[in-house]
Amino acid sequence: MITFDNVTKRYPGSHEAISNVSFAIEQGEMVYVTGHSGAGKSTLLKLMAAIERPTSGTVLINNQNVSKLKEATLPYVRRKFGLVFQDHKLLYDRNCFHNVALPLAINGITGMEAGKRIRAALDKVGLLNKEKAMPITLSGGEQQRLAIARAVVSRPSILIADEPTGNLDKNYAEDILTLFSAFQQVGVTVIIATHDALGNANYQNKVLHLNQGRLVNIEATV
Amino acid sequence: MKNWLTQHGQALKLVLRRFKTNKLNTLLICLAIGVTIALPSMLYTVLDSLSSLASNVKTESQISLFLASDNSESTTANIKAALEKNAAIKNFQFVSKQDALAKLQAADANNEVLSSLEDNPLPDAFFIEPNNLDADNIANLQNELRQLEGVEDVLVDGAWMKRLNYLVLLGKQAMLIIASLLALLLLAVIGNTIRMQILTQQAEIELSRLIGATKGFIRRPFLYAGALYGLLGGLFALLITFAVIYVFNRSIAPIAAEYESSFLLNFPNFSVSTIICIISLLIGLVSAYFAASKSIIKSAS
Repeated sequence: MITFDNVTKRYPGSHEAISNVSFAIEQGEMVYVTGHSGAGKSTLLKLMAAIERPTSGTVLINNQNVSKLKEATLPYVRRKFGLVFQDHKLLYDRNCFHNVALPLAINGITGMEAGKRIRAALDKVGLLNKEKAMPITLSGGEQQRLAIARAVVSRPSILIADEPTGNLDKNYAEDILTLFSAFQQVGVTVIIATHDALGNANYQNKVLHLNQGRLVNIEATV
Repeated sequence: MKNWLTQHGQALKLVLRRFKTNKLNTLLICLAIGVTIALPSMLYTVLDSLSSLASNVKTESQISLFLASDNSESTTANIKAALEKNAAIKNFQFVSKQDALAKLQAADANNEVLSSLEDNPLPDAFFIEPNNLDADNIANLQNELRQLEGVEDVLVDGAWMKRLNYLVLLGKQAMLIIASLLALLLLAVIGNTIRMQILTQQAEIELSRLIGATKGFIRRPFLYAGALYGLLGGLFALLITFAVIYVFNRSIAPIAAEYESSFLLNFPNFSVSTIICIISLLIGLVSAYFAASKSIIKSAS
């Protein structure tokens, strides 16, 4: 599904954020990307989601080489992913319903059909009763769940989350991880970046451990 | 096709919602555009009215030939023969003094001065339409005719109309220049407005890019906003123009009546109004396109 082959990413004016990384992720896997902050987790996720292009090496997403794709086709590749950002990136000028509506609008889905899907997504994360609330009035955990609802509303085959449990207390974090594993259960590939190994042991997962841009080991925890 | 329509409907709805939440801002911007477009529109109206005035009079005779009051019939016949021979004359018409007096009385039946006159003070006259309307040719013809025996005076009554025509032409050129400069001004104003809006929507634009929105999708609402600003501005401009002409005509009517003229400014007709709106819409669209493309390219990761 996602294959990295000797991928290096260098930002202008800095050292390599990712160097010589190779791995493969199969459909339906749950993958953790771990490492200290600054180890290159976010960059790795951006490369996976076709937001950044590699400086060298190849990134294959569904057998499409991201480096060779035209700029104009990249948006369509990105639509295959559901993204949960480290800083949520919620839009504070509109209510929860309209926040979740954005990916559908981008896919050209509006009206009744969109309404149904938005409510289904909000229901899945337990925010159906907050449909009309503004994001600023939500708690940290609720905001995180709203971001997840937005990521899954267009039914992506790959869900990528950057530090989804970063600022949450342990109980909330457990809830969120349970939510993600529920998505994995129905066949969604889930990729989560996290700086701690919280909850890893509970699930059967693949872990990509990064250190200073290098892939240290790929392990499968049982 | 359906998808395409939905996307455009979606963008339009979004823009209208934004307009509704920023009513005052939208109104002010449209008003500014309206005033800017109203200026050349009014100038056009004035020039158009003047040029229609000038072209109306152009069909009337250009040269009036007044005969001496003591002319014999044979002298008049000689003059007539000379006029018939003259190649520079296209057409002419003889009006005897009796006819002229009758016409004058008919035109102004209550005039006591006319009825109190003992004899007819008007001369016989020829009204001549020259072949060539060029100023030099008319001056030559005027000199030539003045030398005929029995001619008292030769007046070129169309000359000022010609000059007016030239002035109108000059005015139209000036109008084009002013209109182009104002169009540039509008490009800057609308472009800036759109850029400000893009700034306030920066978070949404960035997010949309990340989750797979195309450039067209992001640009579309701003294009609609620009085009709508232009269209509304154009409508404001028409409103202003119509109002100004209405007020102007009301105050010009008594003055025109003093000159026994029914000169009034023409209201812009349907096609002119449509063209004003379309041009205004296009200016909005073009400036929004440039503003949006530039900002979106800058924000693209």
